[in-house]
Amino acid sequence: MNSQDQLWDVAVVGAGIAGMSAAIFAASKGLSVLHIGNGSGLVFGSGLLDVLAVHPVKDSTVHEDPWHGIELLRKDEPSNPLALVGPKAMEVAVNQIMEALGKAGMPYEPSTTNHFVPTSMGTLKGTFGVPTTMTSGAKAFENKWPTLLIEIRGLREFSAAQMVHTMGDKWPGLRFEKIEFPDSKGVFELYATHLATALETNKTRQAVIDIVRPLIGDAKAVGFPAILGLSESTAVHKAFEDALGVPVFEIPTMPTSVPGLRLKHSFEVAAAAAGVSRRVQSVVTGVKFDNDIATLTLQDATGNQEVQAKAVILATGRFMGRGLFADREKVREPLLDLFVEQPESRENWHSRDFFAKSGHAINRCGLLVDSKWRPTDAFGAVVWPRLYAVGSILARQDWMRQKSGSGLAIGTAWAAVSAMSDDFGSIGGV
Amino acid sequence: MEDTVFNGGFFTKALWIALGVCCLGLLWRLVSWLVIKIGPDAKEVSFFQRLGAAIIGGIKAIFSKRLPGIIGGFVLDSLLQRRLFKVSKKRWLGHMLLFYGCLVLIVMHALHVLLADKLFSDYQATLNPFLLLRNVFGVATLVGVVLMTSGRKKDWGKVRPARLPIDALFGILVVVIVVTGFLLEAQKMSSPKAFNRMAEEYGIDEDEIKGLRWVWKLDYGVAFPDLKGEPDPDLLEEGRGYNEDYCVGCHSKPQHAFVSYPVAKAAGLIATSTDAANVDKGLLYIHIFACFFAIALLPFTRVFHVVADPISLVVRGAASSAPLSKAGRVNRRALAMDACIRCGLCDFDCSVGPIAKWMNNQELLPSRKVQATRLVASRSEIKAGQAERLAVGAHLCTDCGRCTDRCPVGLDLADLWDAGRGDLSSKGFPAPAVWVKEEPAIAWAEALGAELGRVPPAGPLTADRHQFSACVQCQTCTNVCPVVANSGEDRVDLAPQQVMNLLRLGMNDLALGSKMVWDCATCYQCQENCPEGIRVTDIMLELRGAAWRQLGPVRDRRRSI
Repeated sequence: MNSQDQLWDVAVVGAGIAGMSAAIFAASKGLSVLHIGNGSGLVFGSGLLDVLAVHPVKDSTVHEDPWHGIELLRKDEPSNPLALVGPKAMEVAVNQIMEALGKAGMPYEPSTTNHFVPTSMGTLKGTFGVPTTMTSGAKAFENKWPTLLIEIRGLREFSAAQMVHTMGDKWPGLRFEKIEFPDSKGVFELYATHLATALETNKTRQAVIDIVRPLIGDAKAVGFPAILGLSESTAVHKAFEDALGVPVFEIPTMPTSVPGLRLKHSFEVAAAAAGVSRRVQSVVTGVKFDNDIATLTLQDATGNQEVQAKAVILATGRFMGRGLFADREKVREPLLDLFVEQPESRENWHSRDFFAKSGHAINRCGLLVDSKWRPTDAFGAVVWPRLYAVGSILARQDWMRQKSGSGLAIGTAWAAVSAMSDDFGSIGGV
Repeated sequence: MEDTVFNGGFFTKALWIALGVCCLGLLWRLVSWLVIKIGPDAKEVSFFQRLGAAIIGGIKAIFSKRLPGIIGGFVLDSLLQRRLFKVSKKRWLGHMLLFYGCLVLIVMHALHVLLADKLFSDYQATLNPFLLLRNVFGVATLVGVVLMTSGRKKDWGKVRPARLPIDALFGILVVVIVVTGFLLEAQKMSSPKAFNRMAEEYGIDEDEIKGLRWVWKLDYGVAFPDLKGEPDPDLLEEGRGYNEDYCVGCHSKPQHAFVSYPVAKAAGLIATSTDAANVDKGLLYIHIFACFFAIALLPFTRVFHVVADPISLVVRGAASSAPLSKAGRVNRRALAMDACIRCGLCDFDCSVGPIAKWMNNQELLPSRKVQATRLVASRSEIKAGQAERLAVGAHLCTDCGRCTDRCPVGLDLADLWDAGRGDLSSKGFPAPAVWVKEEPAIAWAEALGAELGRVPPAGPLTADRHQFSACVQCQTCTNVCPVVANSGEDRVDLAPQQVMNLLRLGMNDLALGSKMVWDCATCYQCQENCPEGIRVTDIMLELRGAAWRQLGPVRDRRRSI
């Protein structure tokens, strides 16, 4: 059926983690879901799923137990969206998404706490969900295994030399070797995704294995930049471990990274498996509300079309996702002109200190929602009874500094869909 | 009667002349298959290599394990027209009726002295089933012609497949031959003169003939002007007796000739006057000379496909199991010039067919391109405007291969297009993707700027700078690009994200001449994955159009200097 001939239960706008999760949750509850998104910041992801690692931000306190962190957040910032979701719902939601992604070809190590994963910058990233291709990195660091890192000539976004330089004092057994990727002679610049797809062929994979094997020496683990396969990463990773005889791990690279593309692909597969209908390459340019029905105008290369839904979930992100737009005067929500909680004037957007540990006021601006995750105006009145907002567009959070981006997206999506389906139950919609 | 005419020697001489012309024509066409040079590689093989390839290919086909397959293919594709059946049921029916109608009439009727008389001991043109069947196959032939020619305008509309004026001539001749045949038969049935001649031949005397005339008037439709009213029953009875004795052995009831007999009845009134005017002789001359003319024309019209197409289909069968040699491929292209019947069925499914209509350039259609390919290959100079139109047709082809799949006579059109593009290229009309790459992007931008005296806008692109401003140069497009991934050492000059960056900066003129724009495989990976929703692939395609429009004239002016 064409998407414009149907009255959908829910239209989800936005193709990031929040939008994809909301669509998957709503579809799993048996609702008919139309998901609309053009372009997705998912490719900027590292593949790691953060829940909450830092609180309070001003002290940069890192937590090993994200649930304890959320409990603390509830006391200190009761209106932070993460606090509103709460630890229990968050755990259910994140595990459900990790399971769905696993079925879609991107398995995650089962997890109860935060893990500390070495990054390409030589830092440690505290995160909750770790793809199975990356887990040995955290173990290798924890146990200080002698470890070999592989650098690839021409791959600009990854420097094993820098990692060793930065982490060497804390990790004495860490060393690196620089190798020439097969058939890359004379090529100045290599791209991670091209290497990842090349490694899905037996010939190239074997060639890399043959280059790396003599370099292992006393190393008990081998780390690669995240290039071990694109859509078949599990199989490629396993093939490397089998051939090299030691744990092999991927190190997340700078965006756009291969795990980011895997994440996007796996979310798309998971959404399809959940029964979500998708309109890709379309932008929502307008929404009109009647009493019971929202009419969304979609624009794509062929022109405009209208679709109708009983509920709308807004997951359009912040400035980069164009969910928020900052002009000379103020921050606006461009699609519906919703109320955006923000500093009084532009002068107060940023603090004087650019590197201020507590962050900037602009980072915490966004939409206000009621207890059912529905955007409100300045006075707390709901805009439309079944318009919901989820993810980073929400006010009173600083997901970057809190290291809570995925948790914010997935947790609020879960909570909003739960509230919405309760609502559908009460009006007998489904 | 035919015998008398033939004995006169006039028709015999005419027949020999027609056959002579036909044979010379056939020889000329066959030799042309080894002489016509299409494709750049055609110059690399000599006449004798091509002759050798043809002979060896033929021998190999006969003495190989594939022979049963080739014969099977011949039966299915040539005799039963399997490929045409798949494409168009109506045309298939028309073709079968026309071909088998003609074939049976030729074997049983035209060549009855040589074939029918020998095959059937009791053959008589005026006896059933021969009498009935001649009408059946005559009608079948006419219906075939109608089915093959009807509805064409409706099928094609404004853009039509290639046709040559001489193509219609053969169809007209077939109709003339069949119609004069019917008229001739009808004239004979109603003609008292013919009756009298037969009576004389069989030495029937005055008394016997009276009753017989009545019988032939009533039962056989002879239009005796003097017999009026009702006959004497005894006389009629007597006549029937003589009829049994003399006539029925060779004459079935003419009503079985279901076309000619009604015509004869209708024409009965004027039978004596037609007799007097020797209309029978006139019809006979038209009928037979039309046949001779058709024989002489056979190698020079589309009908030659009855020779070329079975060969083409056999070659196709052979080529599908083992690739042809270079000389063999060149021969096959030359053969295609004769095997193509310009049926236009390839045009129906052509990927760029809609573009042909939109651009109003029929040279995009495969049926036209077959002739154009020959034109480009054969002439040293092509008219400038025409060459450009042909080049557009040749280079817009997407090589989707549907025409090759569809072709009912088994031409390797994909190979022909490739060869044609090679010829166009060597005559100074390479594909834009080729000539753009002759100079770096910066040189094109400078040339464009020098001509216009300023840095020109390359737009308007449907995506404006506002859209490109969203580009964060994240390289996702380049990361997922299979062209960049597989270009190895001989890299693309600008990666996709660099092209987008040029557009973002308003330097469209630099993007125009970029090799990346022309190497793009249009797989849409970049567009699918762009986190900012920029229509990267669509823009690449737009840039191609803009480059062709803007850099093409620059190139033309430089060439003309």
